[in-house]
Amino acid sequence: MVTMSRFFRAAESDSDDSESEYSDELTASDSEDHSGSDSEDESSSDEDGAKKGGAAGRGRFFEGALDSDDDSDDDTVRVVKSVKDKRLDEIEQAVSGIANGLKINDWVSVQNEFDRANKGIQKAAGLIAQSGVPKFYIKSVAELEKAIQAAAQKEKSASKKLNPSNNRALNSLKQNIKKNNRQYESQIQEYEKDPENYDKEPEEEEEVVKKPKVKKAKKVVVSDSEDDKEDEEEAEDDGFTPVGAGGKSVELTQDNLYKKLREVVDARGKKNTNREEQVKILERLLVVANTPYQKIIVLLNLVSAQFDFATGVSGFMNIPLWKNAEKYLNSLLTILEANPLYIVKENVPDVDDEEKDRLPEDGQPVLIQGSLVAFVDRLDDEFTKSLQNIDPHTTDYVDRLKDEVGLYAVIVRSNVYFKRLDLVDSISRTTMRRLEHLYFKPDVVIVAVEGATAALLSSKEATTAKESEVLIHDLCVFLYKNANSLQRTRAMLCHIYHHALHNRFFIARDMLLMSHLQETIHQADVTTQILFNRAMVQLGLCAFREGMIREAHTCLHDISGTGRVKELLAQGLQAQRYGAVSPEQEKLERQRQLPFHMHINLELLECVYLTCSMLLEIPAMAQAGNSPENKKKVISKPFRRMLDYNSRQVFTGPPENTRDHIMGAAKALSIGEWERSVELIKAIKIWELMPGCDNIKEMLAVKIQEEGLRTYLFANASYYSSVGLESLGKMFNLSVNTVLAIVAKMVYNEELSASIDQVANVVQLHHVALSKMQALALAFADKASGFVEGNEKLLETKTPQPQQGDRKKGGAVGGKEQTGKEQGGKQQQRTMGPRGQRGGRNQFHNGLGNSVRGGRKNQQQQ
Amino acid sequence: MPSNKELSAALDIEGSVPIHSVQLDAMVVLKIVKHCRESIPATVTGQLMGLDVNGVLEVTHSFPMPKNNQDSEDDASNYQVQMMRCLREVNVDDNSVGWYQSTNMGNFMNQSLIEHQFEFQQALSKSVLIIHDVARSSMGNINLRALRLTPAFMQLYKEKKFSTEALTKAKLTFSNIFEELPITIRNTALLTALLYELETADESVEVSTSHLTTYKSTASTPASKSVLAPSFDVLDLSLDPYVAKNLENLMDTIDDHHQEQGNYAYWQRSVERENKKKAAYLLNRKTENARRAQSGQAPLANEDVDAMFKVPVEPSRLDHLLISGQIDNYCKQINEFAGPTLGKLFAVGELQK
Repeated sequence: MVTMSRFFRAAESDSDDSESEYSDELTASDSEDHSGSDSEDESSSDEDGAKKGGAAGRGRFFEGALDSDDDSDDDTVRVVKSVKDKRLDEIEQAVSGIANGLKINDWVSVQNEFDRANKGIQKAAGLIAQSGVPKFYIKSVAELEKAIQAAAQKEKSASKKLNPSNNRALNSLKQNIKKNNRQYESQIQEYEKDPENYDKEPEEEEEVVKKPKVKKAKKVVVSDSEDDKEDEEEAEDDGFTPVGAGGKSVELTQDNLYKKLREVVDARGKKNTNREEQVKILERLLVVANTPYQKIIVLLNLVSAQFDFATGVSGFMNIPLWKNAEKYLNSLLTILEANPLYIVKENVPDVDDEEKDRLPEDGQPVLIQGSLVAFVDRLDDEFTKSLQNIDPHTTDYVDRLKDEVGLYAVIVRSNVYFKRLDLVDSISRTTMRRLEHLYFKPDVVIVAVEGATAALLSSKEATTAKESEVLIHDLCVFLYKNANSLQRTRAMLCHIYHHALHNRFFIARDMLLMSHLQETIHQADVTTQILFNRAMVQLGLCAFREGMIREAHTCLHDISGTGRVKELLAQGLQAQRYGAVSPEQEKLERQRQLPFHMHINLELLECVYLTCSMLLEIPAMAQAGNSPENKKKVISKPFRRMLDYNSRQVFTGPPENTRDHIMGAAKALSIGEWERSVELIKAIKIWELMPGCDNIKEMLAVKIQEEGLRTYLFANASYYSSVGLESLGKMFNLSVNTVLAIVAKMVYNEELSASIDQVANVVQLHHVALSKMQALALAFADKASGFVEGNEKLLETKTPQPQQGDRKKGGAVGGKEQTGKEQGGKQQQRTMGPRGQRGGRNQFHNGLGNSVRGGRKNQQQQ
Repeated sequence: MPSNKELSAALDIEGSVPIHSVQLDAMVVLKIVKHCRESIPATVTGQLMGLDVNGVLEVTHSFPMPKNNQDSEDDASNYQVQMMRCLREVNVDDNSVGWYQSTNMGNFMNQSLIEHQFEFQQALSKSVLIIHDVARSSMGNINLRALRLTPAFMQLYKEKKFSTEALTKAKLTFSNIFEELPITIRNTALLTALLYELETADESVEVSTSHLTTYKSTASTPASKSVLAPSFDVLDLSLDPYVAKNLENLMDTIDDHHQEQGNYAYWQRSVERENKKKAAYLLNRKTENARRAQSGQAPLANEDVDAMFKVPVEPSRLDHLLISGQIDNYCKQINEFAGPTLGKLFAVGELQK
């Protein structure tokens, strides 16, 4: 009793709203307090309380509050009321909305209201914990379930089906309600026992207190959605006369469809436009629309409306929206396919009267303004963007990646559609997109994707399942024939990449050489350059798999040798050395990043590159011997650096990572321990990522044996006057013939001054020692050419201010070296060669190209 | 009877007549050679005394400077002053007209030498630098060069401005840092008399006031075993070491030059970078101003753009200049050596047949 009096004191002060500001945080604490308690218990006690507490509407709440009072203090109770009211109001509104929806069979609105009610329940979790689930809610959901079951029954037997959106809503409701009602099983049972009396008091209260409010709310919230639906249903459902729910209604009918659509279109892009609202209107319009023309124009707007959302903070379209867009785009395509006389095109002459349904006349197709290809492009771009932004190591990424098949199907489908219309530009654009989804995938995956796509698309446009090579070839050939030059370039690169991926090195190489892409690539845009880099890298990997070490090294050197691999392949941002990059630049860079599933494994790349370097560099180092001049001829700088670093260490532990393995192998190779070298190379784990890794290991073992022999000969030739071929063969476990071949090749290339005595089966080594003078003269020749080259380079780099200064320097060069000018000319051509190949990667070289011409003119003037 | 010219020379108190040649007394030459050869391989210097007469700088006396590695500058100048006082007391020319330095394989183009000579020429406008190349002299011919800094170089050096622009304006290249003066060697009458006496003793060749080139020819004439018999050093056939040494030096210098090239290229790049930044900034402002003009706002205030983007200062080209000169030197040496050597080799080849 003591508590009671306390409570009443509190309740008095409650009547003024002064303390409502506490409400939020207190409810929050409330909900925490009670989340553990059993809701059923409380609701039953609540019921008792309600019965005892008399008819007053408030009483129930007070009772409920009282029950919980024992573990919360007065303050809580005082405040709760106003919040409670608000929450319950919401739920009640929703519940009555459900009832209304049920009456007119409008399952869409029922679903909406049901969701709203559930949301309200969630929000009011604290309250419910105190006072139990509101009875009217229980009643409503129980009735709803029944109604749904009935409706589903009717639907099965009914001759005229509900319209699709209604049907969909009904189905999803059926699912949800079951799940939902399971929570309230006991209450529902209770209700079912005595449906009439179950919510007597609440009903009363509702009538007394909330009725007016509800009505008002309904006008605002429900009228738009519900009443329109009614009308439309009136039109469609057979003779079902809905009871007017009161309030004014904005009619959405066929007649004002165009007007409404116009409104939406006009509002688009304006500042205060509520995009969600617009989309909703459009969705409803779509339901109303029943001629193909109407549907098409509504869908066109709907798809673009979905894309309007995309400007979010996250930088990419959120996934449900994307899926919506895909869905609508698909249905648009379906309509267009079904009605071949309606054509969506760009640059269609304006039609004066847009507010009229248009029908094809005399077989003349109806042209509608719009760009499907832009939609497809956008859809694809948004997909890529989302992949760029999702962390690739989460399941989200995989889930997202699964959508690719759908997207690919859309692309193929639109491609087929454009082919029917013969829109060359659109066809090539979609073909390009298609190609870019395929080119980096191995055969198996392509076949799988194609299969899935064929399954997704209806039979008539199903693509005939082809071999991936043929497919890629067809796509590329089409692009070569029809597309613009940029697309042709990209198609070529994709084609090369694909060939390289499937170990067709020579085809890929020939394509690369014949297309002369290497010379022009530096003029292309950055993404194409990235594609070029990817193709080069893939070509290098392919050469490696085929055992062509030197080719592989040449292909990879430009990319891997720079130390900016990530950047060049757009697989991550490189830490910038020179100052910070401006944010815009970084953003651009980010946009260029490839999605993770397209990445080339960088570690594998490095491993391959280093292995190639090792096989080339170690014999070269042995050949250079001790002469410091030759030592400077470096094949692979990064490899040398690593090797130096490795050998500078006082103590080298057992190899841990890939690099350590290769460095260890290199050292072993250089001292002739080819077995150890092979062992170390074979121990590298990352080979597993290569298809046919066993073959590759075998190939590498043979290469190491051969290079080991060469290294041995280079390093030790000076100690021998003759070596037996057989003993060499034994040393490196090679057949005499192989040894003979290798030695002969070395002799032929003048790498080794020796002759082969085939009678005695020995190699006779000749020792030619250069006099100091000769060595110096040779060294000087190198120095001098370097000197001239250096001067030329300085001359080429145009500094803005000292124009004459450059010339002066040029003069100095000419004076010093009598042949300076001629040499200079040659020099320039020589230095231009490699630039053509390498230049592409940074804009800086472009500037250089210009200045070279300038520099030449200068020289001629002299 | 003094000619007009001599008179004007005598009246030339300001010394406005530029010197056009150098006349060395034989004793000076011998002293220089002795001093330089004794202290090989160290580089030594000494003072030259004499007088300029009518555009000819007559050097009549010289004395070596002590190696001043540890000693301070003061000690060196003290020594110089004292030495000159002593010389005056014994009535020798005590008018300083320059200095000499020993060198090896023409390796003398360096900053300190330039600085030294610059100071000399600042103080005594007619001073010269005599370079004696010991290594080259050992190949047969005595090698003496008289050098002076050109006025253009003096001017630039004074201003310490060795930018490309300044160099271009002054038309200065490595080849005109120094001007080289012809050297004549003069014997005193007494010495000539002595020589004649020797000659009559064992009929010898005339060694007299001769130009360097004629000296060479006289040296190679066949003669008897007298004191004045010519040396046959010139016919030495071990040619490689000299060329090799030269080449080595040349390569070292090229390496230095390479470094300079690197410095210069670095500067060029940084200038380019700055200019790009500047251009981008200006473009930005331009578009911004255009936009502002469209929307009716006042354009942005003019800031000092040049102050915002500091274009790095061009590195001094002096080093580069000197290195180029040095390279030039080496090239010429090899060239000079190679010509006669070829002849020699052919001759030897013929002999061996």
